[in-house]
Amino acid sequence: MIRFENVSFHYGGENGTGEGVDNINLTINDGEVVVLCGSSGCGKTTLTRLINGLAPHFYEGEIEGEVRVNDLLVSEAELSETSRYVGSVFQNPKSQFFNIDTTGELVFGCENQGMSRAEIAERLARTNKDMKLDALIGRNIFELSGGEKQQIACGSVYTAHPDVYVLDEPSSNLDRKAIHRLHEILKKIKESGKTIVISEHRLYYLMDLADRFIYLDDGIITASYTSAELARLSDDELASLGLRCTDLNKLDKDPENISFANAGQPVVEAIDLNCTKGGNQILDIERLRLPEHAIVAVIGDNGSGKSTLTEALCGVGTSDGSIAFNGRYLSERERASRSFMVMQDVNRQLFSDSVIEEVMLNASESRERALEILDKLGLKDTCERHPSSLSGGQKQRVAIASALCAGKEIIFYDEPTSGLDRKGMERFGEILSEMRDKITSVIITHDPELILRCCTHILHIENGRVMGFYPLNADGVQRVRGYFMSESDENTSKDRKKYGIFGRVLKYAGKWKRYVVLAVIFMVLGAFFGAVPYAGIYDLITRFLDEGSLTLNGSLPDIGLILVAGILYAVAYTFGLQLSHRAAYHTLENIRISLQGKLDGQPIGNIHDMGIGTVKKLFNDDIESVELMLAHVIPEGFSNIFVGSVILLILIAVDWQMALCSVVILLLGFAASRQMYDVGMDKMGYYFASSKRLNNSIIEYVSGMEVVRIFNRSRKSGERFEDSVYKYRDFGLAWYEVCWPWMAIYGSLFANVTLYSLPLGALLVILGHLTLNRYILALCLSYALGPLLLHTLALIGSMPRVNYKIQSIEKALDRPALKCGNEEFKGEDHSITFDKVRFAYKGDEVIKGISFTAKEGQMTALVGESGSGKSTIARLIAHYYDVDSGVIRIGGQDINGLSLETLGDQISYVSQELFLFNKSIMENIRIGRPDATDEEVKEAARRAGCEEFILSFEDGYDTMAGACGNKLSGGQKQRIAFARVLLKDAPVIVLDEATAFIDPENEKKMNDAIEEIIRDKTVLIIAHKLSSIAKADKIIVLGKGRIISEGTHAELIKNCEEYRRLWTATEESNRWILKGGQEK
Amino acid sequence: MDLTFYGEDVKGLIRVDPRTKVLIFITSSLVCVSSYSDIGIAMYSVVLCILFALCGKPMTALKASLALGVVLFVRAMMGNSKGAPEVIVMVLTLITTSFMFAFPTLMSIYFIVKTTRISHFLSAFQAMHVPVKAIVPVAVFFRFLPTVTDEWNGIRKAMAFRGISLSPVQIIVHPWKTIEFILIPMLFSSMSVMEELAAATMARGMDLEVRRSSYEEVKLHAVDYLLIVLFAAMFVLAAVIAQMAKEGAVL
Repeated sequence: MIRFENVSFHYGGENGTGEGVDNINLTINDGEVVVLCGSSGCGKTTLTRLINGLAPHFYEGEIEGEVRVNDLLVSEAELSETSRYVGSVFQNPKSQFFNIDTTGELVFGCENQGMSRAEIAERLARTNKDMKLDALIGRNIFELSGGEKQQIACGSVYTAHPDVYVLDEPSSNLDRKAIHRLHEILKKIKESGKTIVISEHRLYYLMDLADRFIYLDDGIITASYTSAELARLSDDELASLGLRCTDLNKLDKDPENISFANAGQPVVEAIDLNCTKGGNQILDIERLRLPEHAIVAVIGDNGSGKSTLTEALCGVGTSDGSIAFNGRYLSERERASRSFMVMQDVNRQLFSDSVIEEVMLNASESRERALEILDKLGLKDTCERHPSSLSGGQKQRVAIASALCAGKEIIFYDEPTSGLDRKGMERFGEILSEMRDKITSVIITHDPELILRCCTHILHIENGRVMGFYPLNADGVQRVRGYFMSESDENTSKDRKKYGIFGRVLKYAGKWKRYVVLAVIFMVLGAFFGAVPYAGIYDLITRFLDEGSLTLNGSLPDIGLILVAGILYAVAYTFGLQLSHRAAYHTLENIRISLQGKLDGQPIGNIHDMGIGTVKKLFNDDIESVELMLAHVIPEGFSNIFVGSVILLILIAVDWQMALCSVVILLLGFAASRQMYDVGMDKMGYYFASSKRLNNSIIEYVSGMEVVRIFNRSRKSGERFEDSVYKYRDFGLAWYEVCWPWMAIYGSLFANVTLYSLPLGALLVILGHLTLNRYILALCLSYALGPLLLHTLALIGSMPRVNYKIQSIEKALDRPALKCGNEEFKGEDHSITFDKVRFAYKGDEVIKGISFTAKEGQMTALVGESGSGKSTIARLIAHYYDVDSGVIRIGGQDINGLSLETLGDQISYVSQELFLFNKSIMENIRIGRPDATDEEVKEAARRAGCEEFILSFEDGYDTMAGACGNKLSGGQKQRIAFARVLLKDAPVIVLDEATAFIDPENEKKMNDAIEEIIRDKTVLIIAHKLSSIAKADKIIVLGKGRIISEGTHAELIKNCEEYRRLWTATEESNRWILKGGQEK
Repeated sequence: MDLTFYGEDVKGLIRVDPRTKVLIFITSSLVCVSSYSDIGIAMYSVVLCILFALCGKPMTALKASLALGVVLFVRAMMGNSKGAPEVIVMVLTLITTSFMFAFPTLMSIYFIVKTTRISHFLSAFQAMHVPVKAIVPVAVFFRFLPTVTDEWNGIRKAMAFRGISLSPVQIIVHPWKTIEFILIPMLFSSMSVMEELAAATMARGMDLEVRRSSYEEVKLHAVDYLLIVLFAAMFVLAAVIAQMAKEGAVL
């Protein structure tokens, strides 16, 4: 029990973060969940601090009255005493951890209380179990996302088992899923009978948990609501209280606010944006265009790559790919100078002593203009104050003002409204809307209220890929609301392991890694033997110098040495290459197997999207490039570098001055190659973009050739092609132009190290510091060094290409696998239920919140125009794709919990296209149930009406389908598919346009076959020809991804306009066919 | 150098108690300031690297010992060619010498940071009855290293937008301005983190007066005693070698 008796508290001294609270009388009973709400600075946080004792023990001030938790007088007791009863979770995930590792943090509270080791271990285990923290144990807190940190914070309080939980804006950094998880955690805590006090701006997720909402205004409790009472308040009433919305369902966009009229040209354009960190693909975006004058909200779950994307766009994060502002491809530095990011932690970007100095720091505007801008943002009074003395919202506006004064074109915001109250949020939205004419805004946000208030477009990022980019019109509002209301609470954050490029490939090598190591050893040996002849030559020359002449006999040992070394070199090198190739090809095998495994787990849709060409390219070409790396780059590169270093060390031993000279030369060479890389990368954007354009125009040119010839437009289309070829040439030349000087420099430096050490050595010899022998040895070593380095450089030069190939393999593997469980089917019947299902395909939402039930033993038909989403629904039932939100159930069981096999046993899905394997027809039908006997197969064929035409073939059932595939008509193929279904005898039948190939002559047979199939099953049928489904038990009319109406044929004809239209259309086409038939 | 300041020794073959690590740090510092012999320091450093490797960071240890090896080699070979300009010799000697003599100390600090978890550190010293007041600052220092790295990354990005260059030229031309631009946001940002961190820590019952328990077992094992003896012996040996070198007896 928490009791406030006449409590007043006012901060003293420097802790003036709020005004404090007055005359608080409040009793919170055990097991109650109380939410403290009100606008910023109303005293919510102060109340939480009074409960956990931080006020007045840490934040000092004057206190009157008494705060008691159970029987403890918090206002007097030591903090360590209070902490036994009260557990606190704070707003800022960055600053509430004492430890760096998660385990240490989880047990921190228990340790502070001095619990025994056994007790702590037991509690830790229970926390892990209850909160599902297994994936987060033993990790670096600094690597976790905001949502994960908040989970750890809740977990560590939970481990200490306090009676009272105090949470101060726990949701401010969380995405929708993390909020769901937080909700679940709070529910669990509530169920265990603990008291919870939450200070929060976001209210909607607490509506079903909270017993009371205490409303504070200016430090005084002015009202108290139950959930029901609060839910009844209209939006206007909430607004006047300064409270945020209580139900996302009610949230809507002000229609007047939408105007896309001036959202025109793309202001930001990115092509082939890739970003990897520590070997993990973070971003993979093919093309992205953000329109001018737009306010784009970037949404997506924590860790999906939103921040990486915005940082790449504004030029402070590294990425591959080309990014253009206003149609010009720019380097990172140029982009940074033309854009601005308002960071979440705005403290980091305030550099000056006063607000006015801050905005004038790199302003292109005059001081008067700057003052004007400050005035507009409501900061005029503060312009002499120190930025750090301002409130969070004010600091944010100072940052915006500085961007405006610097004449930036695009401003990015990183979660600008986290921790802002309703007024702050609204004000922020207004500022954005006002600036829209001049500046494009891109906002990373988890705040649906802000999005619906001011944004014009939504960019949805998931797993580093663009899931959708759409304007926020009526449909868009539906879609974005669907996103935020989705009930998924899974944790998408992965424990990303860091691998370098070699590690990434080597992890597939398995036991063959040994061979790679052996290969390296042999290569090193080989390179060593390769250097031995120089020693022989040195010896010969020394003797020549010493003795004045060389005899054949005397030089035989040296010549022998050189010969033997040469042979050994060849042997070791060849053997090393053999080993490395063996390892390489076995690794290729492993990668292919693993790729195949990953492909199996992918949604079929993804594989279709990739296309046969891409998959083939992956399995063949891309994987093949790994061979170059494993067989050559690793062993040869390693041995070259190793031997090169040894030579350098020997050179040091011979004469350190000459060595130093060589090192300086080499360093200069490396600097030049580095410089080339830098300037090259700046221009690379243009280069890649034009190469992409060239590719596209080649495709267009070739695929459009037919049309072009027919309409005699070849000149025009040829011009387009030529144009892009010239552009490509120009960009290529421009790129080489900037790179060429540097290439020449490092090429000549590396190849001619000797050239520079030669005169120095000669000087040393003349001065008598160096003997001639040693001089010659040093020269020999320098000669050996050059080729090694150039060879290595060539290998390094091929790395980007290899890296790119490997990346594309990883990209393919990285896509999220289909969500499959391995539960047994335990549905109570075989009805199919869609519950608020939403699904987007290639960025366009095609299923927009559909709910329906197809009952067992009934026939449910889906009708609608093409593109209304009928076939997609069928594919979703067969689990070709994962839904974005909502649930599909079969007999009450979520299909995501079933394995594909189990689901396959329940469902027969007949699509429009039938694939025949190159086997006999018998075997092709048997695919329906592999253990069926020949007799059963024939029986099924008979019932499906296939027997007749099968027997008409020469070999009957043994005819090879490949050979007769072309002979079969569409209807016949369809009936073979029916035979499969009959054989399989699954309780759910999904027929997608099964009657598409009906023509008058086989109509009866087809219909008979269908009759056979659907007897006593749950049937979902999709048909264009409405006549065939008129007798269905239920007809669902779809339009643009939504359900327009449902009912029986009679009802729909009467009530549904759309259905009537579809019906008349089919009727007419039927007549047309009939007429045609008669004329014959 | 890997700038993620996260200590763990999960992969290590041996686990060393934080107290032993601090002792190693102390002997390292003493060796650095008292021993003037290459061999003493080399020997000491190699043992340190081996220990680092055994504690689960073999690659770091390998890189460090390679660097050390090269420096030692260069030092040894410096005498083989005479007549080089004084300046070059001096600069080279300065670089190699400071590397050599800073190596044990830096390495042992890095060793502590990379292989110790804060909670382990705290509990180990509490078990030794060291007052909490003395340990907490060290623990907070560890906690703050990654924070500062984090802040620095953010500030660097913020500077890019404001056109504040961090190029060497700029730093040389406007050293004070650059420092100011780095320090002001760093200080204000760190201060707010610090305050919230202190509040959070106290609200969770950390108290200088109360005795904490520990989830982790803290006990000096045989390995620790062995290491203590080993490093003490090496310290003595290094001192003796240095003394002998000074007297010109050997080397």
